[in-house]
Parts: sequence; structure tokens; C-alpha cells
Amino acid sequence: MSTLLHLTLANIRSYTRDRAAMFWTIAFPLVFILMFGAIFTGGGSSDRVFGWVDEDGTAASAALRAAFSDLENVDLQDTTEQDGLVTMRAGDLRALLIVPAGYGAAIAAAADQPGPPVALVVYTDPTQQNQTADTFRFVDAVLGPVNLEITGRGPAVVPEARAVQTESLSFISYLVPSILGMALMQLGVFAAIPLVGDRQKGILKRLSATPLRRWQLVGSNVLMRVLLALIQTAVIIGVGALVFDVQISGSLPLVGALVILGAMTFVALGYVIASFAKTEDAANGMTSVVQFPLMFLSGTFFPIDSMPDALKTVARVLPLTYLSDGLRQVMVGGTPFAPLWVCFAVLAGFLVVCLAIAARYFRWT
Amino acid sequence: MTSAVQVTDLRKSYGQTRAVDGISFDVQVGEVFGLLGPNGAGKTTTVEILEGLRRSDGGDAIVLGIDASRHPERLKPLIGVALQTAALYPKLTVREVLDLFRSFYASPGLTSAELIELFDLGEKRSAQTRELSGGQRQRLAVALALVNNPQIVFLDEPTTGLDPAARRSLWEIIENLRHDGRTVVLTTHYMEEAEVLCDRLAIVDHGRILESGTVKELVGRHFRERAVQFDRIDALGDERLAAIAGVSSVAHERGEVVLYTSDVPATIAGVLEHATAVGVEPENLTVRRPTLEDVFLALTGRALRD
Repeated sequence: MSTLLHLTLANIRSYTRDRAAMFWTIAFPLVFILMFGAIFTGGGSSDRVFGWVDEDGTAASAALRAAFSDLENVDLQDTTEQDGLVTMRAGDLRALLIVPAGYGAAIAAAADQPGPPVALVVYTDPTQQNQTADTFRFVDAVLGPVNLEITGRGPAVVPEARAVQTESLSFISYLVPSILGMALMQLGVFAAIPLVGDRQKGILKRLSATPLRRWQLVGSNVLMRVLLALIQTAVIIGVGALVFDVQISGSLPLVGALVILGAMTFVALGYVIASFAKTEDAANGMTSVVQFPLMFLSGTFFPIDSMPDALKTVARVLPLTYLSDGLRQVMVGGTPFAPLWVCFAVLAGFLVVCLAIAARYFRWT
Repeated sequence: MTSAVQVTDLRKSYGQTRAVDGISFDVQVGEVFGLLGPNGAGKTTTVEILEGLRRSDGGDAIVLGIDASRHPERLKPLIGVALQTAALYPKLTVREVLDLFRSFYASPGLTSAELIELFDLGEKRSAQTRELSGGQRQRLAVALALVNNPQIVFLDEPTTGLDPAARRSLWEIIENLRHDGRTVVLTTHYMEEAEVLCDRLAIVDHGRILESGTVKELVGRHFRERAVQFDRIDALGDERLAAIAGVSSVAHERGEVVLYTSDVPATIAGVLEHATAVGVEPENLTVRRPTLEDVFLALTGRALRD
């Protein structure tokens, strides 16, 4: 056990002292997130602008509008439901509030005799948990006094929450898990380069002259990569949450399980590359040949459904498709390309195939 | 005396090439044994079979009573190894590499601090191994071979590529291994190294052992004569030189002519006479005892360091 830990520690030290490797692991995915995030969320819904749709057109609805527009830090923009949703999807509205027809009449009736409460429709983007909660705080702040004034008893007006996916925000929500998948893939396949380097330098041969077992060597490599994968995951999720307000809606243990399985699958692919690359340069080349198609054809930057049919077929056989798709499902509730269990099964199957190939062809000297 | 290593009719081929072609030798406990020969002679393959890194095609390689080809996992905890190229994790420090290698053994002997002291690496303990000089790297490689306090140490070309000072410092270290009572098997293509360090040695060429014994035995077996040597004079053919009084054989080595003779004064007189006759003064005329180099030249017809 001590051997495995020492070797893992040695691997981690070698890795963290290699600036290029650190760049690819941490900086490269962050650059992607920050760059694309900045491009696609520019000027979005950072201001608290609510769309206002008045389908009632009574004095009561006008009073409600006045109550909202009196709030500090809130701007109202009059619109229709249809136009408002379009504007909101484009990322230019934080929320859309709709006063339904009959609102004034219901309020008047409620003052005399309590009836069923009337709804104020509130559209938000539930994937943006912070912003949604913020919107409802403001809605509640207005409806509280209004209800009190009307009846003095129970609520006469209640918010009715409706969900809408806003485009700019959903892009960054789409991107963060994709970039995590891409980073895990790179972390794994790049394992080939130091491995071939160690073999070329004769380090593997020197190790094989000690009582060290091969499973300990492989185990320490995988252990280090999985640890790095979890660090990467924390950094990428952290930046997504802090900078772009992308919240994890699924279970963290499920995210962790998928990250670990994904990391192991791509480390195994790295071992396959190391089985066929004789030199560090060759490993470098082969790694590029493998990672670029994976990066661009696995739905990292845009959904696979929007790809031409021929490329869709390619995407269907690439393992990163299933890692990124699974991550989107468990992290931000993304629309599944494949059921989650299929994602796990494909990755596990790919892992087994890669291990079999590496066990057959990998050479220590 | 008991044998630490017994090699019998060892064979190993790579494709059509017979790298080791029926080698046999014994190494006694506590002695420094050398395999001397040019690059590609089969020394490294032989040693790597003894280290349990390669399986032989045939013959026996018994180290400390263990069949190295059949039970390498039993052998590895007991032996120390320094490979031909000192393969070190480039980004780990001296201290970290020693600690790492100690963790591979159930019962490591010396502590990393003691090894650093012993191998004079104190100043470099926190330096990454890629910053080490050739001599320091090689000292660290031998230190790594000792982390498990082995009874037998295999050193493959320990001083290749080192400057003379670094080489002498490593020779001192190998001498100390002998003083500690350890058995040392080393390969080298430096005659001088073999002469200085080895109790016994085997001369290897083309996968076979040509001769083995102590340096004295090897030289004495081939030459009771002295060598008279001078820069080659083109006008003097080998036949005329061979006819000089006392000369038993003529050899060429790196632009020089070597005359092996039982009568040094007569031979020198003869050389001067012939040289004067063709109007040339012999340059760098020297007389010396024959060395291993001469033995190798006599055995193979070529100089070792060609």
C-alpha cells in the first residue's frame, strides 16, 4: 500500500512540476469556459429586467404594475406573452410576469367574499437557481402587501411559476459540462505521453528490476489521474457557478461516479496509445489525432442534434459523446442524447475494450 | 568460496542475431567480476538475464541460488541494479527518488539520508535529477541499487561517458562495495576500469566468452613479452618489422604499430635501423608491459575502443 501511495505521490509531483501538463489540465478548459462564456452571455440578463404582460387592463392590474415599478433595482418592460418569451429566450429578460384576464374582477370579488386565489404567471429559467430565487423574492415582496390590502385574510393573488429555457444561459449551462468532459478526455489520453516518455527513458525498465508489481504501477497512474480529474471537476464546476451562475441540479455523487468512470475510460485509451507509440513524439502526434475528433465531434460546443447526419453517426460511436451527455444530464438537467444508464454502459464497455487492447499490446521496455 | 552467480551455456537470440551464444562463468561471493567487451558484445543482455529482466532462450542463470529466468520475482528483492542508462524521474529530487525506491522493498537497508551522505550527494539532495551532472546521476543510480542493502550488485557500464574525475570517484564507490563484502558484477568497455576494479573478468565478443581469469592470468597467458610501440611508418611493411630480432608478432592499433618482443634492446635497435634506412625518425617510441588491450587485440584482431 505504501508503495502505491509513494508511486502516486511521485507521479503527482512529476505532473505538477510540468507546466505544460498543468496548463492542459486546468488552464485550457478554463480558457474555453471563460472565452465562450464571455462571448455568449455578454449583456444578457445580468440586469433585473422583468417583462410585463397585462391581459387584464383594469385599474387593479395597473395598480399591481405600479407596485412592481416602485421597487428599486427593477425595470419593467411592457410586452405581450409571445414577444416577451422570445425576448426572454434570447436572454434579454430576467423573468416574464403575466397578469391574466379577469384579474381585476377576481380581486374585487375576493374583497367581499374569499374565493380561489388568482394567479400571477411568473416565467423564469429554473436552471438559473439564484436568479430564479431572486425573482421570486421580489414577486413575494410585492404580492404580500397587495394581498393584505385586498382581503386582510388569506392570499388572493399567488405566483404561478413557469419555466422557460433562456438561450444564452442555457448555452453556458450546456458548455460547462461539455468542457468538463473534454478536460477529462484530455487528462486521460495525455497519460500516454509521460508513460511513453518513462518507457523511452528506461524508467519503466528500471522499475521492473525492483519488486514493484505492474498493477501497482498502473494503479498509481490511474489513481493520480482520477485525483486530478476530481480537482479539475471542482475547478470547472466552481468557475461555472461563481462566474456564470451555472448550478448543479443533479446529485453530486452521480457526477462524481461519472467523472471517475470517464477519467478511467480515457486513461485506458491513453494506455492504448502508449501501446502503439514507440517514442514520446509519436505519442504526442497520436494523442492529437485522437483528441481533436473527440473534442469537436462529440457535441462539446453544440448539440449533436444540430449536426449533419453523417457526423451524427460518428458522434454516436465516440465515447466522449456519452461522457459529456451524461455529465450534462446529471449536472444541469440537459436534454438526454442517450439515457443515463446507456452513458455509463458505453463508457464501461469502452474501458473494458481499451484495457484488453492495452493488456495485449503494451510493452514495458 | 561459494558461487554468487553460476552461468551455464546461456543463450539468447533476437530474431537472427545471437546476442548471447553459449556463455558460462561463475562469480564467487565477495568478488568484483567484470564482463569486458565492445558495445554489442552481449554483455548487457547477459546481465539483464541475471537481473531477471529478460528470459534466456536456453542454459542456466542462477543468482544467489535462484533461477533468474524462472523466478525473477524471488530474485528482485535481493539484488541491486544500475542499468546502462541511469533512468531517473527527471522532475523528482534526489531525496524523493531515493524515498520512492525504498518504498518498493519490504525491508530497505540504509536510509535515504545515509545513502545521500555515502554517495556525496548532500548538496544536491533537493535538486531535481535532471539538474545533476553525469557523475552525480551515476552515483545516484548506484545509490538506488543499494536501497535494499543487496548482497549482489549489477552495474552495467557504470562509468560510460563520465569525465576522468567522476570515473575515479565511482571506482572508489565500487571499491567500497567490495569492502562491504558485496558481490559486484559489472560490464565495461574500458580496459583500465577492468584492470583497476575486477578481481576476475571475462572478455566477451559476439556473444561468447573468449577468455576469463584474473588480469594477470589473462595477460600472462598471452604475453611473456613486452610491447614496443611507435607511430606507423608507411615505408616499413609488417614483414620487415616481423623479421626484427626478438619480435614474435606485429599488430596495429589506432595509427600505431605494436611489436611484441622477448628482446627489447634488440628490437628497438632493429626499429631504429630500419627507420633510418628509409629516412624517418620513429615518433612516440615507447616500451610497455602488455595490457588487457593487447589481450583483446590478440584475441579479436581489433582494438576494443575502435
